[in-house]
Amino acid sequence: MSAVPRRVEILPPEGVAIAFEVAPLGARFGAQIIDLIVTGIATGLFLVLVASTGWVSEGALMGVGAMAFFFARIPYYIAAEIAMNGRTPGKRMLGLRVIAQEGGTLTPHAVTLRNQMKEIEVFTPGTLLLIAATLSTTTLLILLAWVAILLAVPLFNRRRQRLGDLAAGTLVVTTPRPKLQPDLAEPRPQSPQFAFAVHHLEHYGRYELQTLEDILQVDRTRLTQAAARQHSQTMGRVSDAIVRRTGYEGLVREAETPAFLQSFYRNQRAFLENRKLFGEDREDKNHASPPPPG
Amino acid sequence: MSTQTPPLVDLRSARFRAEREADWQRLDALVTRAERRGLTRLSFEDARDLAGLYRTTINALSVARAISLDRALLTYLEALSARAYLVVYAPEPRRAGRVHRLLRVGIPNAVRRVLPALALAYAALILGGLVGYLLYFDDPTWYGTLMPAELVQGRDTTSTRAELLDVLQSGSDQALDDLAGFAGFLFSHNTRVAILTFALGILACWPSLFLVFAFGLSLGAFVGLHVERGLAYELFAWLSIHGVTELSAIAVAAAGGVHLGFALLFPGRATRADALRRNGRDAVKLAVLAAFMLCVAAVIEGFGRQLIQDPAARIVVGWGIGLLWIGWLYGAGRGQGG
Repeated sequence: MSAVPRRVEILPPEGVAIAFEVAPLGARFGAQIIDLIVTGIATGLFLVLVASTGWVSEGALMGVGAMAFFFARIPYYIAAEIAMNGRTPGKRMLGLRVIAQEGGTLTPHAVTLRNQMKEIEVFTPGTLLLIAATLSTTTLLILLAWVAILLAVPLFNRRRQRLGDLAAGTLVVTTPRPKLQPDLAEPRPQSPQFAFAVHHLEHYGRYELQTLEDILQVDRTRLTQAAARQHSQTMGRVSDAIVRRTGYEGLVREAETPAFLQSFYRNQRAFLENRKLFGEDREDKNHASPPPPG
Repeated sequence: MSTQTPPLVDLRSARFRAEREADWQRLDALVTRAERRGLTRLSFEDARDLAGLYRTTINALSVARAISLDRALLTYLEALSARAYLVVYAPEPRRAGRVHRLLRVGIPNAVRRVLPALALAYAALILGGLVGYLLYFDDPTWYGTLMPAELVQGRDTTSTRAELLDVLQSGSDQALDDLAGFAGFLFSHNTRVAILTFALGILACWPSLFLVFAFGLSLGAFVGLHVERGLAYELFAWLSIHGVTELSAIAVAAAGGVHLGFALLFPGRATRADALRRNGRDAVKLAVLAAFMLCVAAVIEGFGRQLIQDPAARIVVGWGIGLLWIGWLYGAGRGQGG
């Protein structure tokens, strides 16, 4: 339950692993609530319809409602996840999706299995708990233990799979939303270029490079004035740190800081990518020190 | 200093990106369209390009991981490949065809494959019924023990013949109300039994069989109560009209559970997890069938039983529907795999 999203790699038939973010349990719970509301409303409308025709007496309405809810929700989940490619309306609103853990197609079989198991995991004990008052203490305790164990299953595995997911070989991930940001290495016209020598570029690794990328990728036109000022200060500090650490001899004027950082980024990346091609991955600035024993 | 312009270093990864960016943008647009409106709405050229572009893009991702340190690029390619993968490997959109195939071939074949499990489930049900019946005649107080309290509904050893007949015929206005409630309860109770027998089969069969046996026990005691009061024929008719379907649904669900349990008991050469997944395919089909049969039983119970009062007609309708089930499951989809 750490805030860091869990990632899981899926291997599609093409043989290149794709990383997905495992959906947080909170979002899944929320999606479940939305789906419950949707099916609940459908059941409610059906009940109103039935009640208005007067076929069923008031006393039996409760039983008919339970029945209608049962027949509304079972096809709802299965049909929605097959038709909408692993999403129910609730999952879609919260950006979640069911995928097959082995890679490849999410089969109707898997969808049916994982949703039938939901019946056993969630709904049957749930309905029984609703009539908890009429149950004996022993039954209630067994029921609570059952619910507690099944709820704990997703907490104790890395992929946050509930029992139905485990049986069907599926998992729930968040839908990725990609946006291609501009390549910082593209030289900008009319901005001054700085020259770096090899001994300037030997100090940093991938981590520092990508941190610098994060700072440079900030779209300044969308910042508030205060945030923009803060960002300028950060850039100034970073540029000072780079000059100090690399021993860069040239002068960096304050107005030229972004151009200097961009230029440094470009040269540093070219250098590191070159090393990478020769088989030397420099993970971060500690790359030169020997690996810790053990 | 910045006065003299130094020569630009050649960035392999930047060139790599510039050469392919247009393809990625096109794939992005195609995937977005497919996500919004479905794969079937793409034109032939678009669908063909989608598959090709997906493969080149996922290749590009592999290459980019090896040569590039541009995080913007890596994140984008990763996400784009993921989205394209989900679109390309989407579940088959032809739902109607699938349902049709499931009904025509999948379910009947699955039932024929798990016939031993089905026989076992029926045997447990009948044995339970027999034992319950005999126990009742041994000592009528068993009735209270064997019948779940929620199903008794005032029908116990103190009921008279007239009262019981009243409920069976449910023609009078007063009984209709009770019956509607009873139908609802019976339905939810039996459905719960069906779900539990299926689910608990995973614990090595015996809970499934035990539940069916216990269900048979209460049924047997219920039959005993009526037979004792000379209502055997009327009860047989009453049970026939929906029971043939509903009790079979429970047996089918139990057979699914038993089939799952077989995977644990007799995994063969596979590991138990693999065997479970293998047997799961047929077990799920049985569960779908059981759900379908329960739906039919609920419809018969809700309407047919109230409309058809004549015992003979009830028997004909009930067993007629039973024959339809057998005909379908025995005959359909022979010689076709699936």
